[in-house]
Amino acid sequence: MAQKKNAVIVGGGTSKFGVRAATIFDMLQEAANALSKDIPGLKPKDVDGLIFASTTAGRNSNSLNTAPIVAHRLGIYPTSICVRVDTLCSGSNTAIILATGLIESGISDCILVCGTEKLNMPQRWESVYMNLITNDHDWDSAMGLAVPPPFFTMIAQHHMKKYGTTKEQMGAVSVTNYAYGFNNPNAQFGGKSLNLDEYLVARTVCEPFGLNDCCPVTDGASAVIVASEERAKAMTDRPLVYIRGTGQTSTHGMSAHWPADTLADWPHLKHAGEIAYKAAGLTPKDIDVAQTHDCFTISEIIEVEELGFCKKGEGGEFCASGGIKVDGQTPVNTDGGLLAIGHPYGATGARQAVEICKQLQGRALNQVKDAKFGLTHNLSGVCAQHTVVIYGTEPR
Amino acid sequence: MAELKTSQIVGTPYIDGKYAAILDMWPLEAPECNRIYPFYDNLKQGRWTTTKCKKCGNIDYPPGVACTKCWSDDLEWVDLPKTARIAAVTEMAGPPTGFESPLVMAWLGFDKSHPLKHLLVRLINCKLADVKNGDEVKLVTFEVPSHPIDVKKETKICDRVYYAFEPVKK
Repeated sequence: MAQKKNAVIVGGGTSKFGVRAATIFDMLQEAANALSKDIPGLKPKDVDGLIFASTTAGRNSNSLNTAPIVAHRLGIYPTSICVRVDTLCSGSNTAIILATGLIESGISDCILVCGTEKLNMPQRWESVYMNLITNDHDWDSAMGLAVPPPFFTMIAQHHMKKYGTTKEQMGAVSVTNYAYGFNNPNAQFGGKSLNLDEYLVARTVCEPFGLNDCCPVTDGASAVIVASEERAKAMTDRPLVYIRGTGQTSTHGMSAHWPADTLADWPHLKHAGEIAYKAAGLTPKDIDVAQTHDCFTISEIIEVEELGFCKKGEGGEFCASGGIKVDGQTPVNTDGGLLAIGHPYGATGARQAVEICKQLQGRALNQVKDAKFGLTHNLSGVCAQHTVVIYGTEPR
Repeated sequence: MAELKTSQIVGTPYIDGKYAAILDMWPLEAPECNRIYPFYDNLKQGRWTTTKCKKCGNIDYPPGVACTKCWSDDLEWVDLPKTARIAAVTEMAGPPTGFESPLVMAWLGFDKSHPLKHLLVRLINCKLADVKNGDEVKLVTFEVPSHPIDVKKETKICDRVYYAFEPVKK
């Protein structure tokens, strides 16, 4: 077998995220346009592979076997791979893992990874109703579980009881991420500031969550280029950002198989992180900036614990004391995260990858000084699956 | 022929008189549609059951056709105890169409002799204010809308049930 190649993320872009008067194909073309501005000179014909992530395309956009249609709409002629990935909220992060393997093995040389969802439907009921098929339909969904707030409020209840996490600490996550997202032109809540008093009086969604504890329902698309090191050097003069290690765990599609005694502990995330750190040859202390899956404020608090940025149980204090700020110990969700940018499931992983790429190249809006190593994380399903990708300015 | 129980619930729509399974919020329970139909047949009798592997002794939930520990298909149906205690509980306004609002959901904990450790369920016949952590709840079954299925040239009506949990009256 030929020597293993290094996989590099070259650049990327996103559409405007929000409640969009646009189809998934409109938004994918917007993301491709943003990508072309991020990597000047890149042409559709330069791409030899397409990995497209979307879970709801088959339902909300009446489109199954969507990858060939995406290839057509983006003017790509795939010769190495053309496939759709359906892992809900981790869709395009899963796609980046697949792209890494294909690049490292030499099967592909330049892959477009993109993801999208159209979640806002002509009538609001359908957006919620559709989510019944994103869980285990015959079991969890038949209990009424569609959108995730009820499950995550119970996670928050357990974390508050077991570790003493407070509403104010959850508020600190929301306030920090809204501040990060303020200058992000593509964020659903771009230009919207939030202080702790406003957070505390926001409308209750599901006790203990108020409106600002939850990410919104979002339409959007994102796209990145994953290429071999040699190909990337020919494409850009910017510092190269290497994909150093990945990990993905999946423990259950149904609540009956939750892997811990309480909902406050996520051992399957800890495990995914350990696999990725080992593959990357790094430890949590090495990570200069991270994009974690803040679908809810409590999620980010548990994620900084399980990913090792602080001790287990101290995530609330870590976030509230500024550990996640741009000058803190491990800045998290520096582009606004899911809370401020929004969360079109399949588009989120690639959006996070764009931010880490910019951070490690020194050109992010909220730049972390001298960032060398970055991490992205998604959870999906009823917190069943965890996906971690670690990046660095040097190869492993 | 049995009467078709149509419903105003949007979750089981009839388009120009035609049933669309793709939008159905309930499982397709009939023997023509799945191989674990005994679960639903037993549920109609008030029994909560699942499959146990005769080879390795593993009890799965949900029930299956092959054991998830050893992939053996030598399985038997066993009854599950029908009570549990609330380990977390919440309610949500604006649940999926077809469910009552606010919808009360609970994370259940089962005692050590039960094959299940935890389960996420819907609580019915109570309000959030009526229940708290540690309260005992029990399984309760109810009818859900039937659906038609084409069997050769006939249309068969499939009656259905589902389950939730409710407080044990003190």
